[in-house]
Amino acid sequence: MSAVVDVVRAELFKAFRKRRFYALAGLYWVLLPVVALITAAVLDRNLTGSFADQNGTIVQVVQGFASPFGLARLALMAPALMSPTAYIIAVALFAGLFIGEERSHHMWKTTLAVQPARMAVLIGKLTSGMILLGLLLAGGLATASLAGAAGMLFLPTTFGGTWGSLVGLFALQWLHLLAALTLAYLLVFLVRSGTLGIILVIFLPALLEGLWAILNTLQQLEPLTRFNAVFQALRLKQAWEGLPQLFFTANLYAPARHPLGAFVRSTGASANADLGPIGNLLGQNLTLPHAALVMAGYTVVFGLWLAWVLHRRDIE
Amino acid sequence: MTSAITASSLTKRYGRVRAVDAVSFDIQPGEIVGFLGPNGAGKTTTLRMLAGLVRPSTGSCSLLGSPVPGAGLREVGTMIEEPSFYPYLTGRGNLRHAAILHGGVPESRIDEVLGFVRMERAADKKVRAYSQGMRQRLALARALLWRPRVLLLDEPTNGLDPAGIAEVREALRTVAAEGVTVLVSSHILAEIEKLVERILAIDRGVLRYDGPLHGLLEAAGAGGVEYDIEATDGPALVAALERIGYAPVARGERGASVAIPSNQAAGLLARLGAEGVEVIEARRATATLEEAYLKLVGAEGRPS
Ligand SMILES: Nc1ncnc2c1ncn2[C@@H]1O[C@H](COP(=O)(O)OP(=O)(O)OP(=O)(O)O)[C@@H](O)[C@H]1O
Ligand SMILES: [Mg+2]
Repeated sequence: MSAVVDVVRAELFKAFRKRRFYALAGLYWVLLPVVALITAAVLDRNLTGSFADQNGTIVQVVQGFASPFGLARLALMAPALMSPTAYIIAVALFAGLFIGEERSHHMWKTTLAVQPARMAVLIGKLTSGMILLGLLLAGGLATASLAGAAGMLFLPTTFGGTWGSLVGLFALQWLHLLAALTLAYLLVFLVRSGTLGIILVIFLPALLEGLWAILNTLQQLEPLTRFNAVFQALRLKQAWEGLPQLFFTANLYAPARHPLGAFVRSTGASANADLGPIGNLLGQNLTLPHAALVMAGYTVVFGLWLAWVLHRRDIE
Repeated sequence: MTSAITASSLTKRYGRVRAVDAVSFDIQPGEIVGFLGPNGAGKTTTLRMLAGLVRPSTGSCSLLGSPVPGAGLREVGTMIEEPSFYPYLTGRGNLRHAAILHGGVPESRIDEVLGFVRMERAADKKVRAYSQGMRQRLALARALLWRPRVLLLDEPTNGLDPAGIAEVREALRTVAAEGVTVLVSSHILAEIEKLVERILAIDRGVLRYDGPLHGLLEAAGAGGVEYDIEATDGPALVAALERIGYAPVARGERGASVAIPSNQAAGLLARLGAEGVEVIEARRATATLEEAYLKLVGAEGRPS
């Protein structure tokens, strides 16, 4: 246990001397709220009372993304709606720092000679990654709320919102990221090139899931009915169609994308916009407990795999 | 007393190559042991197995009585091959990272080891800007951070200037005097000769010699030690040596070389005195470690 604490302290000592952490935090903590506030101010100044503003829509919209609550919710959602998501980029950067660098600087032999308890090193490195991700998220929640509060000075926004559930979603999203972090460590450890590892982390799950979407489309085409027939015969079709329920990325971002419906509604759009097959990939139909369970499963699988390879590996 | 380092039939195979082949030895606490062998002999691989970095294919090893990997590893300081650092941290930063990572190292110890390897002045430069010798010194400092009871050092003087080599020798003597066990590999035989009392020599994975330094020297002399002797009167010296029963070769006006059985070396000067020869100087001419070593590994002393 104390070995894990030593590893965490040492890794954080290192991480706080890296520019990438501050760059990431700066983008997320400062840039996002500033852009949101400026956008809101522009909307508010130019469109309030104009032809576009029916029944106070603009006030609603501004409340939706520039109030303290709206901005905090945006800080949770926005990173999950980019491609690749900011969440996975942060995860990949930390995997590069805590795992990739050990290889590129030939540090494994030194690290494991200084701290021979390999499992403590692994758990400590995972913990350090989670602490940094937690800091980023907590900081994002805090700065966004503060910026939203500052925005109340010049925007028609209020403090209201379902704060409790939002904080819960932040916490849940943070826990989900453990699965991504474990996968990222595993890939960066297994792939000999650090850069390739990071690229894999960012694109592999989406690639596999995209492949499913392509096969799924092909499968519905006429010339491939034999494919279909085999599927039916093996009773695989149900499993195949149920597969997205277990997809990594869809479940990974479930908490961050959860408020999407409410957000869309807050902008006045119809609530049940059906996104079709994309909706599947975005995890539209997934419940939070289901997603949490799937992510826990991924974490266990990747974690055991990672522990096993680190335990077995000869360090050159 | 439990041994400091034990290897039992330690073997490492890489495919069909036996990098280390059934190597066994036993090193007592406080010993300084030199680890010799040509390139590719298996020194680094052996040290890696002892340090718990590489798993033996078969056989086992233990440190301070506990099997590797195990509790003994925390009491070990290592320098394996090229030392590695985080280049974006300073020398001091790298030591602090290692101190925290290992745990239980007081902050003051960092300055202590920096002073020990004379790196105080470069300590606050980024390691990226270090010379090879500075990296080597910093690595030795790191290996000493937590006051290890065993040091596993792989060519620690690689890249050091002559003063640095002498300093490292003194440093190792100092820590050994405090009871630290040292296993040190090197290709600089003159250094090893000055530092250790015991030699392990390995060639193509097989341990070829394990014993005292002088034993290796004598084995190389194979029953004969050669002396270069200088006396006031050269011909008289040669005549006296012949009378004693040796076959001297005259060297210049006052000197002679002679090969004698090593067990008779001790009485040589007294007997020459009794023959009325005034000896100015007598020097043992053969069997430096280097020659002994080359004899041991022979013409096969090339990378295998
Ligand atoms: N990871 C590896 N994969 C395959 N072969 C290896 C590996 N590591 C070492 N070897 C082989 O094992 C043998 C011993 O290598 P080792 O590095 O232990 O030699 P060494 O005595 O340290 O040599 P040097 O004096 O050059 O440092 C060599 O034949 C080497 O090629
Ligand atoms: Mg070597």
